[in-house]
Amino acid sequence: MSERDDFLANIRGALGRSAPLEAPVSETPHSAGPPDELDRRVEMVRELISRDADNLMSVLARVAETSGWKVARVPDAQAAGDYVLGVAREIEARSLVYSLHQVVRDALPLDALSEAGMRAEPVALGHESEGKDAQDRARLRTVMEASDIGVTGVDYAISETGTCVIIPRAGVSRLVSLLPPVHIALVERGQVLPSLDELFTLRRDDFLNGNLGSYMNLITGPSRSADIEYKLITGVHGPGEVHMVLIG
Amino acid sequence: METQTRQFRQNSASALADANVQKNLAGLYSGFHSARLTASAATSDWQELSDVGRRIKAHVIENLDYYLEMLARNVERVGGHVYFAKDAQAASDYVAGVARKHSVDMVIKSKSMLSEEMGLNERLEAEGIEPVETDLGEYIVQLAGDTPFHIIAPAIHKSREDVSQLFTETLGSPYHEDIEDLGREARVQLRQKFMEAGMGVSGANFLVAETGTVTLVTNEGNGRMCTSMPKVHVAISGMEKVIPSIEDLSVFLRLLIRSATGQMLSSYVTTVTGPRREYEEDGPEEFHLVIVDNGRSRLLADPDLREALFCLRCGACLNACPIYRKVGGHAYGWVYPGPIGAIVSPMLTGLSDAKDLPYASTLCGACKEACPVQIDIPRMLLYLRKELTQGDNYPDERSASATESAAMKGWRASVSSDGAMRASNLLARLGQSVLSKDGKVSSLPGPLSGWTEHREFPTAAKPFRSRWREMKDQ
Repeated sequence: MSERDDFLANIRGALGRSAPLEAPVSETPHSAGPPDELDRRVEMVRELISRDADNLMSVLARVAETSGWKVARVPDAQAAGDYVLGVAREIEARSLVYSLHQVVRDALPLDALSEAGMRAEPVALGHESEGKDAQDRARLRTVMEASDIGVTGVDYAISETGTCVIIPRAGVSRLVSLLPPVHIALVERGQVLPSLDELFTLRRDDFLNGNLGSYMNLITGPSRSADIEYKLITGVHGPGEVHMVLIG
Repeated sequence: METQTRQFRQNSASALADANVQKNLAGLYSGFHSARLTASAATSDWQELSDVGRRIKAHVIENLDYYLEMLARNVERVGGHVYFAKDAQAASDYVAGVARKHSVDMVIKSKSMLSEEMGLNERLEAEGIEPVETDLGEYIVQLAGDTPFHIIAPAIHKSREDVSQLFTETLGSPYHEDIEDLGREARVQLRQKFMEAGMGVSGANFLVAETGTVTLVTNEGNGRMCTSMPKVHVAISGMEKVIPSIEDLSVFLRLLIRSATGQMLSSYVTTVTGPRREYEEDGPEEFHLVIVDNGRSRLLADPDLREALFCLRCGACLNACPIYRKVGGHAYGWVYPGPIGAIVSPMLTGLSDAKDLPYASTLCGACKEACPVQIDIPRMLLYLRKELTQGDNYPDERSASATESAAMKGWRASVSSDGAMRASNLLARLGQSVLSKDGKVSSLPGPLSGWTEHREFPTAAKPFRSRWREMKDQ
């Protein structure tokens, strides 16, 4: 028997069984509702987040503030770009990295940033040959590490907890929202979910459709620690300053 | 990790005598404990969540082999490696083997109690590999050559002056008065390590069977670093952390985080499903999940102790416990302190080496009340005490508990008859009048001395009947 077989056989023994189970011996409690009704639940979530978008944005704005985000509400992508420029000027940023979410491409005032003497670079490999890949990866990491600001879009935001959800993929690095000391997240109307429940319902649907990906980050405010004398400090490893820009 | 569970009495005595430790422990109640109460009260369906969470845990533990097989299959399906380790040794060997295979000379780690349990750092050091703890509290503990004091606040026993001194001595950094500066110092030191390390090791808060997903809950961002920067990520997890569906995460994230720190959500919740996909920008090329038993199957095999495996490691029972809040985490002598540790540690290290732990409780029930999945800790502590006094399963314990067996018999006899009860109360008061000063007893003789070494024992009040007679007479 392999180590794995031994391990599992030992568990069965502890539970007073000897053969592997074809199905659980007790009914699985489904915390979110019957699994065969997933499609209907997904449809309800999609309908709800568009119908209730305004209200969800307002609740998010309030809760995000208490979770440590600096929250701005702006009418459109251009105004979001102005906001980013304003933050960059205020902290006297010299360089900025960004992910290739469509909303970021639409919003970032690249000319104005360049005129202000700031470098702005997208974090995307373009996926070429293997050797170039490794070199580019190392270079981009150094660029991100040295940048003052990281700008991203989001996949979802959650009003219950004041959270941004980012699912990495081509053009969306895991690190743009992590390595620079300031993170600015652009949230669009219709991306706001009421609670964690809806997020994981949608993610289960993604999984069943083969779109789970390898990673997901739920980001709720700045990097924090209270490990010394319970005193809250920010920016220990991740960004100490985080902005959530709500568009529309 | 070396066990010191035999030294509970000595260890708690030194904690009680340490004014600094006492000051820092006092903050647990006003801090984490009250934050938990506020957060759970702000969650409208808290009781319902707790019921559902408990039901899911019970279901998974009852079908643990089934869900672990499903989990392993799904991690492998997305290109990850899975290793089942029967004990700490096997788990450490495997992790060290992965590091060797990749010729790694430094491993960055995010907080994991299991890693302490495995003695992983010592194992890596023996191979000439540098393990670097990156959670601020764990980093402090590692630099000091110390062990964690609390499940979620490992260095809470150290003052800012202790940490400043430590950083000056070990890192050669200037003496920082300010906690913010200490945090910045750690950021600079560790950022370099994140950039260089060839391998990251993380723990796991939840393992999702259906999707093969490891979930991490952190606040500093070091967990994200350890799972994104190095070429290899190894996640280590106790076998009880599995849950069926990704949809269950919404229940468990709320229960865990709101019970641990009282935040609505921690700064970062990260899910990892296998290594980086080809089309993704960054992330590890290789992913390993190590699932560890190391004595957990002993808890599983005993229906009376099985529910200890429901534990989410939130630390709420520690903060609620009047004993933990006085003696702190080191007194318990092993990785898991506090009320849940008093059950888990004896079963993982051997009951005969941890006889005092089941007694490190007043059975007040605060731990059960604080537990987000309603683990009946007092019931299990009593059960372990019974095991120790009767010695049926643990024959070497028989002699150690003769005094208590006799005392319990005596007490049963006295409460079962009214006359005997009154007589023993009278004896208690007469006995005390010899010893007491100003209505307090400051030292009790012989086997009772443990009660008064560190506090005064209130004198037994006169029974209501005698006081009533006196009042009537006046």
